[in-house]
Amino acid sequence: MPTEKEQELIKRLQDAIINYKVAEAKKIAEEAVQAGADAYTVTMEGLAGGMEEVSRKFDCHEYFVPETLLCAKALYAALDVLKPHIKIKAGQFKGQVVLGVMQGDVHDLGKNIIKAIFEASGWTVHDLGRDVPLKNFVEEQLKTDSDIVMLSAMMTTSMVGIKKLIPMIKEKNPKVKIMIGGAPITEKTVEEYGADTTADNAPNALREAMKMLETLRKGKAA
Amino acid sequence: MAEMTSLERVAAALTFGKPDRVPAAPLVCGASHRFSGVSYGEWSSGEYVDSMIQGHLDALQMIGHDGVVALVDLSVEAHDFGQEVFFPEMNTAYPNYDNPMIKTIDDYKKIQRLNPKKTKRMKSVIDMIAGIAKEVGKTHAIVGFVYGSLGVMSMMRGPEKFFMDLIEYPDAVLPALQAMDDTLFDYAIAQLEAGAHSICYDHLYCSQSILSKELWEKFEGPSIKRLCDKVRSMGALVSLHNCGNGIYFDMSLKWANPHAISHAYVADDVDSWEEHKAKWMGKIATIGWIPPGPVAMLGTPEEIEEECKAEIEIAAKGAGFILATGCEYPPNAPLLNAKRIVDAAKKYGVYN
Repeated sequence: MPTEKEQELIKRLQDAIINYKVAEAKKIAEEAVQAGADAYTVTMEGLAGGMEEVSRKFDCHEYFVPETLLCAKALYAALDVLKPHIKIKAGQFKGQVVLGVMQGDVHDLGKNIIKAIFEASGWTVHDLGRDVPLKNFVEEQLKTDSDIVMLSAMMTTSMVGIKKLIPMIKEKNPKVKIMIGGAPITEKTVEEYGADTTADNAPNALREAMKMLETLRKGKAA
Repeated sequence: MAEMTSLERVAAALTFGKPDRVPAAPLVCGASHRFSGVSYGEWSSGEYVDSMIQGHLDALQMIGHDGVVALVDLSVEAHDFGQEVFFPEMNTAYPNYDNPMIKTIDDYKKIQRLNPKKTKRMKSVIDMIAGIAKEVGKTHAIVGFVYGSLGVMSMMRGPEKFFMDLIEYPDAVLPALQAMDDTLFDYAIAQLEAGAHSICYDHLYCSQSILSKELWEKFEGPSIKRLCDKVRSMGALVSLHNCGNGIYFDMSLKWANPHAISHAYVADDVDSWEEHKAKWMGKIATIGWIPPGPVAMLGTPEEIEEECKAEIEIAAKGAGFILATGCEYPPNAPLLNAKRIVDAAKKYGVYN
């Protein structure tokens, strides 16, 4: 349960994220550290809470890409301060994803928004960047034992790499879940390429990832 | 009804006249390099104009579409302004985002007005249009292409930083856009003078996918109006291209008043193609909306025919419709599928 001081800091942080006040977000995070506030609680409720509202505004077309990017900028300014002070407790761990844009493709805007929203929600994101060679996805998944691999393609020329890559990943780790996204991706592509799901924006990607993680955890528990 | 030439058919469709059938224009742009004998990288480089002309002419003959769209790829203008661009052998040319020309806010001052006829790649497009017009300009629609200034500049800054600059540093962005808009204005005129019958302006960021209406019109509204007014004053048709989701048709009408929009998704203020037809297709013709990836590239012949038939059934009545892919025909898709789209227009799109 956050203390009164923590609650006040959380509220101010949320406002700074939602109103994309980058310097203000950083300042409040520093204040939280100096006050000895629990960095994990402040991150999850202040930053993730703020981004949740940003996602809602994006979903209902109140915010668009520039506003969302600036919110993410404010988020990272605060997260950089808070991250070294976060102590993960049992039961707080969410999941890990490997994320990247397919080889031959440099459109990483969507990927970066997804990264911000996942990190703000407590996920560990292994971001491989853009124009990523296929084997790098396979190696990173194995190295990090990530639950989900998320592949982004904005062009049909890069999309076709997904068809080759999914069997490469599944061959090494059949249990890993694959989410694919980008302009040319549809449900039909998911089916034809053997992916597990797709999402048309970052909030939906987070919802889909939570579902997949739940399935994976149930599978492990069974 | 007597069979029209492709040019007559397209003009009739876009002006809500009486075409003999639904025109077909599956936006076979970059894909035409496969008829040209040069690689995609060479095609885009601007050094093989004769091959580009021949590629388009052979594509017309083999596929049978009604018009040529002079899109090479979206990096043409940015490259001429000084952005480093990569030219893969088998893929679309793209800017080096690790080395953007606009690295700092001060770098916006580097953007100066160019004479398109003295550039490399814009000039190659102008020359390509002249060559195509010489051969088929009397029979086929030739559509010049201009990538909008917001799109071009995002390639030179990197989209992420550029979008944030629009809010954080508008006073630095606006003068640079002015210099770019002046160049694109001249570029559009040069394409028309070379023989294009229409200019297609790509206003990609005028959609829910990217910018709010307020932000878009602040940065691109007045310049698109100036360019489109000029195109109309020269007796040419104005078309827009936008493959974003939830396109602002109201903004497009307000600032560009286009004859047509080439699009993949419905307007932001409707929920279905039937609604789009009722609300917008009487005012602005639709060029679209076959999904390039799932249908043109991955679809079976039956699926392609079915999609074309369904679109014609919704949109063809009263003209104002060209059957096309919602975005550029995938450069790596089977070329026979483009022909299947044309065949479907001939089979299902005949007007009585």
